[in-house]
Amino acid sequence: MKKFTTLFTAIALLIGFASCTKKNVETGKTLNIAVSAEVKGMDPIYANDRYSSNEVGRVYEGLLEYHYLKRPYTLVPNLAESMPVVSEDGLTYTFNIRQGVLFHDDSAFPNGKGRELVAEDFVYSIKRLADPKLQGLGWWLLDGKIKGLNEWREKYSDLPSVDYDEVVEGLKATSKYTVEFKLTKPFPQFLYSLAMPFTFATPREVVEKYGKEFLNHPVGTGPFILPTFKQTKKIVYTKNPNFRKKLYPTEASDEFKAAGFLKDAGKELPLVDKVVVNVIIESQPRWLNFLKGKVDFIGIPKDNFDSAVTPDRNLSPEYEKKGISLLINPSLDVTYTAFNHDLKLFQNADLRRAMSLAYDVVKSNELFYNNTSLPAQSVVPPGIAGNIPGYVSPYRGPNIEEAKKLLAKAGYPEGKGLPEITYDCPSGTVSRQIGDYMKQQLAQIGVRIKVVTNPWPELQKKITKRQVMLYGIAWGADYPDAENFLQLLYGPNKAPGANGSGYNNPEFNKLFKTASVMQDSPERTALYEKMNRIAAEQAPWIYGVHRQNFTLRHSFLKNYMSTDFETGQAQYLNIDSELKAKSIEKL
Amino acid sequence: MNLWQYILRRLFYIIPTILGVALIIFIIFNVVAPDPALIMLGKHATLSQIADLRNELGLNKPMWAQYLDIVKSAFTFDFGRSWTTKQEIIQMIKNGAIPSLTLTLPAFVLSTIIAVSISLVVSFFRGQWIDKCAVFFCVLLMSITSLAYILFGQWFFAYKLGWFEISGYESGFPDFVPYVVLPIIIWIILSIGPDVRFYRTVMLDEIYQDYVRTAKAKGLSERVILFKHVLKNAMIPIITFVVIQIPFLILGALLLESFFSIPGLGGITLNGVYNSDFPVIKAMTILTAMAYIIFSVITDVLYTIVDPRVRLK
Repeated sequence: MKKFTTLFTAIALLIGFASCTKKNVETGKTLNIAVSAEVKGMDPIYANDRYSSNEVGRVYEGLLEYHYLKRPYTLVPNLAESMPVVSEDGLTYTFNIRQGVLFHDDSAFPNGKGRELVAEDFVYSIKRLADPKLQGLGWWLLDGKIKGLNEWREKYSDLPSVDYDEVVEGLKATSKYTVEFKLTKPFPQFLYSLAMPFTFATPREVVEKYGKEFLNHPVGTGPFILPTFKQTKKIVYTKNPNFRKKLYPTEASDEFKAAGFLKDAGKELPLVDKVVVNVIIESQPRWLNFLKGKVDFIGIPKDNFDSAVTPDRNLSPEYEKKGISLLINPSLDVTYTAFNHDLKLFQNADLRRAMSLAYDVVKSNELFYNNTSLPAQSVVPPGIAGNIPGYVSPYRGPNIEEAKKLLAKAGYPEGKGLPEITYDCPSGTVSRQIGDYMKQQLAQIGVRIKVVTNPWPELQKKITKRQVMLYGIAWGADYPDAENFLQLLYGPNKAPGANGSGYNNPEFNKLFKTASVMQDSPERTALYEKMNRIAAEQAPWIYGVHRQNFTLRHSFLKNYMSTDFETGQAQYLNIDSELKAKSIEKL
Repeated sequence: MNLWQYILRRLFYIIPTILGVALIIFIIFNVVAPDPALIMLGKHATLSQIADLRNELGLNKPMWAQYLDIVKSAFTFDFGRSWTTKQEIIQMIKNGAIPSLTLTLPAFVLSTIIAVSISLVVSFFRGQWIDKCAVFFCVLLMSITSLAYILFGQWFFAYKLGWFEISGYESGFPDFVPYVVLPIIIWIILSIGPDVRFYRTVMLDEIYQDYVRTAKAKGLSERVILFKHVLKNAMIPIITFVVIQIPFLILGALLLESFFSIPGLGGITLNGVYNSDFPVIKAMTILTAMAYIIFSVITDVLYTIVDPRVRLK
């Protein structure tokens, strides 16, 4: 019995020890963020997912960024001194870069002191993205766009090493502080690529010193420093003491002005001393940590949605009392079910329309998105030019009677003569449920569906090889321009390009081609709207929803808003330490 | 045959076993599985990029060369880099091993000691109410899913009562302790049910042996019989049961690590599976297989120590 006593005493001591240990709620000017996926390395050229690009964006910077307080999203200079000079033919972009910007200190530099950023750093960083040996994941952004860059890439794909000193015609540093891009054809969306982490400035000597381990030694010019990245559950950044004098914006859209976002106007960035990123994969611990004040903001996990948000889309009083507030914002995306237009069957517009009409998107919103999404009327989501506010597609379901009539008109009364249609979707419970729902909806008009689930790469392969009939998928914006969505229906982009459905409409293609070389203007918006209407009326896809983000934040977190382009956001956020100390008591 | 010869011979068996494991891995990942280039390049993949990437990954090599690469990695421990994180896998494993072991090792040792102790007590009182209650509670504990313990434990003890950290991890002793106590307790609760039932059966098997009756006839006390004779004879199945579980400790505790954000090997394995990160899955499979072989050798050697009747052949 003595042994048992010893054992239980040991356990009791361990528990006591655990309880007595300091409670880790940081009360200083520390930003506590929770992310729900592992962060890959810190190399900008591989930052193709939200999580890695956010981390890269704390350390690295690009020529441009999105104005933090303006909507619609507006590009403004970041490491560029001003917006570029664009030649009349729209082919040459000349940037002057800021002088006196320093890279973080690192032993790769002489005396370990970060050197000044120069134009050549952008030339080098963009060549890295094009380097065939590195397989940068953002190459698609610039593929075929910069004069001589594709040739440079191809030349070195079969050679053992890549020569970064070889001059590329369209990518030159014309002086210490001037970088010039020459495009192969007008491409107004080019500027967006300069606000994406793929093209952020990386110093050559650091890359060369660390080689393959560069991704664990982030050295940028950004507001925060991370000396070494370790694949772990906690990443701690500190404020960059040598950060250039960058100020919090003094202008804002009305909505942000009204919400008090200008209180820190003119203050030097970053506003916090430390950023702690906690990787918490499971939703319950993420949620509980938020409720305890250990995390400053959180996207509401699906299972906690009903407890946090009332049916009329307000925050439940229980949380309101704790000083928590609710933010709702639409995200720039669209979910859809695509027809394979290579099949003669689906070249029949009436059949597509009938199937679209049979699908009850309102019910699917309820079932799969807690009723938080917006039914999509066409391809372009709200919030960007090209979306037509208030527009309702004539073929948006549910309208079973009309669907049946159209099905008969298409030559398949009550589904007679139609083969069984396969519906491919990614594996995963929700995707499968969405598939089953589609099956049940279309059965109402006599269309028989067979749901097939696939691992993600298998589904992609099937789409590329045209082995699908109907498939469910989603698209999120790479940048806030309708072109990024409309290209999904542009004929020449057919798979393996982004147009997986293979939709090919000469009228639509012509409009797209015209708009694709136009700078942002009311004329271009009119063309986008016209295409968006065609995309609704022709029903090349059965549209799903545009999802919305429901985010909660604590009152002590200032300047936070939910955005589609979070890269660099941490520098604008502020923590009211006194308020935090008081709030934590209540939580 | 002496002990060292025996160990050497058993270790020699590792070679064909590894060749077999490598063959299975090769068939699963290089022949049957979908094209990894598509997974890695994401939504903007073009045909030429896919071709370039396949070349970089060595997927255009002849099949036999790809198989040999797997075999080689088992002996050199050079598993290459992860496809998703681009980190060196051996480094990831080194980083993850300590956090995993700080959770699994104490949990495993404590749960084994507790389970064996409880089993001894219930065998002592076999058929009486203590025994019946213990069996009842074991079945009760086993009939609740592990996720329920985790979710409830985290919500009630960590969040509501604030006794433990909700999740997270700090490296270095004693900083990690507050983060692993709750998962360790949950591990113990999870394993006590099946463990006690197993050890109790083993001990009861022994208790009904002839030698126990002889011992009783000779007038030995129950306690001496139980601790000196029964426990010693029950050691063979106990050792087998314990040692065979050890290789899986290196895989980490998948669910516990995930829910408590412990940066261990469980998370690495789980992420590897979620992201179809084949090099990581291959590395973890090879390591587990090797650990399994090594620990089964250890089990056999231990048999000879606890039971002189077992001969090395």
